[in-house]
Amino acid sequence: MTGRFPGGTTPDPVPATVPGAPGNGVGPPGAALPAWLRAGTSRDSPPGFPAAPPSGFPPPGFPPPGPPSPASRRGPRGGRVGRRGPFLRRTLAAGTDVLRRMLLAEEVATRPGMLQRLDPRAKLLALLILLLAVGLLHHLPVLLVAWLFALLLGVASRVPVGFLLRRVLLTVPLFTGVLVLPATLSVVTPGPLVLELGSWRGDPVGVSTTGLLAAGFVITRVGTSVTLVALVAMTTPWNRLLAALGALGTPPAFLLIVGMGYRYLALLLGTVTDMFTARRARTVGAGRHDGSARRFLGASAGVLLGRAHLLSEEVHEAMVSRGFRGRVHTLDAPRPTAGDAVAGAVAVLTAVAVTVADRALG
Amino acid sequence: MAELRTGPGPELPAEATRLPEPEVFACHGVGYRYLDRFTALDGIDVEVARAERVVLLGANGCGKSTLLKVLDALIFPTSGTVHAFGRELTEDTAEDPAFVEGFRSRVGFVFQNSDAQLFSPTVTEEIAFGCLQLGLDREETRTRVADVLDLLGIADLADRAPFQLSGGQKKRVAIASVLAMNPEVLLFDEPTAGLDPRTRHGVVELLGELGATGRTLLLATHDLDAAALLADRALVLGEDHTLVRDAAVADVLADRDLLVRVNLVHPRDPR
Repeated sequence: MTGRFPGGTTPDPVPATVPGAPGNGVGPPGAALPAWLRAGTSRDSPPGFPAAPPSGFPPPGFPPPGPPSPASRRGPRGGRVGRRGPFLRRTLAAGTDVLRRMLLAEEVATRPGMLQRLDPRAKLLALLILLLAVGLLHHLPVLLVAWLFALLLGVASRVPVGFLLRRVLLTVPLFTGVLVLPATLSVVTPGPLVLELGSWRGDPVGVSTTGLLAAGFVITRVGTSVTLVALVAMTTPWNRLLAALGALGTPPAFLLIVGMGYRYLALLLGTVTDMFTARRARTVGAGRHDGSARRFLGASAGVLLGRAHLLSEEVHEAMVSRGFRGRVHTLDAPRPTAGDAVAGAVAVLTAVAVTVADRALG
Repeated sequence: MAELRTGPGPELPAEATRLPEPEVFACHGVGYRYLDRFTALDGIDVEVARAERVVLLGANGCGKSTLLKVLDALIFPTSGTVHAFGRELTEDTAEDPAFVEGFRSRVGFVFQNSDAQLFSPTVTEEIAFGCLQLGLDREETRTRVADVLDLLGIADLADRAPFQLSGGQKKRVAIASVLAMNPEVLLFDEPTAGLDPRTRHGVVELLGELGATGRTLLLATHDLDAAALLADRALVLGEDHTLVRDAAVADVLADRDLLVRVNLVHPRDPR
């Protein structure tokens, strides 16, 4: 007997009809299994392992079946699962969250909202005009009105405002807030102090009102711009957005790379999630940030890189097989409608209105 | 299936068509080694005639997929020669635009891994990709896309992104993306693997219809039931990567000793 999966080309020498042959259903159940596997579950546990209870489910210490209680969704320190805890759990939660957001964004893009009805090319042109106008504003109140206008557009397009704000408020402070933080200091932007932090050559130094206003102005401007961009991205299916960019002159090769990147990001993210889920399914107790965890992380990164490489080779072969020779040809986008022209006109009028209002304030 | 009748593809260059094209493919002593170390094919001699329906049988890792890639000029043999439509497939011929255009429009390849084959942002773009690369005009491409969407029963998926599809849907889109090019030779790598019964039945039925239109079909599989339905001739690859049998499908499937030896049937399998 060469095992259950004999290698090579030699046929398995055990005839199907030999009585008592392992695995043919005639011998004792599980006779071919190694002794430790045949021994069964924790009733024959090795020393040091807790034995299973004689009967009954759930075993002591396990929650009863049914929907999890609010407390069970929290980690040992009371934090929400996925936000705290070992890296494995956090990575899984983050990966799942990205996939969930990708699917939610696609779902929002197909809702019957105002922006969803417009041609993506019209939306992109309108976006450019409005971004230009926002970039030229000089007064905080006008900027805030523009931001409110963007949020109202989101409501009219059935975009969940909370989802939109989270997207904006998470990215703007991270990328802009850090940059403008020094501008709030009186040594950079002199003015009356709101918060004194110390002194420099006898003069008090701290956060100045003028600096806070300047920083707030920049953050509001970036926030308004990001909200507008997020609105267009969320109300346009990814593929149509790429097609619109192509229609506006973006090189096809660039769009192909971006499109494939997005498409295979989802696939590789699924692979990562599967790998980490498999690891977690075989992990007993709380995960730790120790050497084995780091080795697993390194090995996972290596495996993922290998898979991505193989996949990229196969994708290239699939493209070549269908005639790809370095240049991409795509279908034309449909013609814009009168509604798209109206949307463009509204965008221009809005841009002119906020710019005039801004100038009127001095 | 009017749009899928075998028709002449773009003309091949004169030197490629000067022969009477006695066979679609001719392999002589073909060998292939990955990284110059791992043998995938060893001394394969095969000829495939026009309109033949051939199944490539063998266990996992015996070289079926590699042979299909060699026949599709995606990789080139490390020993021996391969001819397609009377012209040798080499890295040089693969660089010849005229030959490539003719060859790619005449040979379609459905990969085993549908994820590798579906790289476009939408199903429609995916199906249109091959036609557009080969120079078909956009109106004709749109017509073909609509036809194959209907043929495969996936018209409702037209605007969906590939990552949103199930395994069976991906396989149907992958098949549609090749059929839209209307090739006269179809290479399928494990067309029925991992499909639910209904999808598998649909794919088998479609392949049967395609075979009946006079196309040349080459299927790599270890689905013996599908092989019996879809092909007339079987090429059996052994686990030593050689061609161990080239015969009628019925004869191969009746030879239980052979099937056991090449690991297509387990000794205790009642088949």
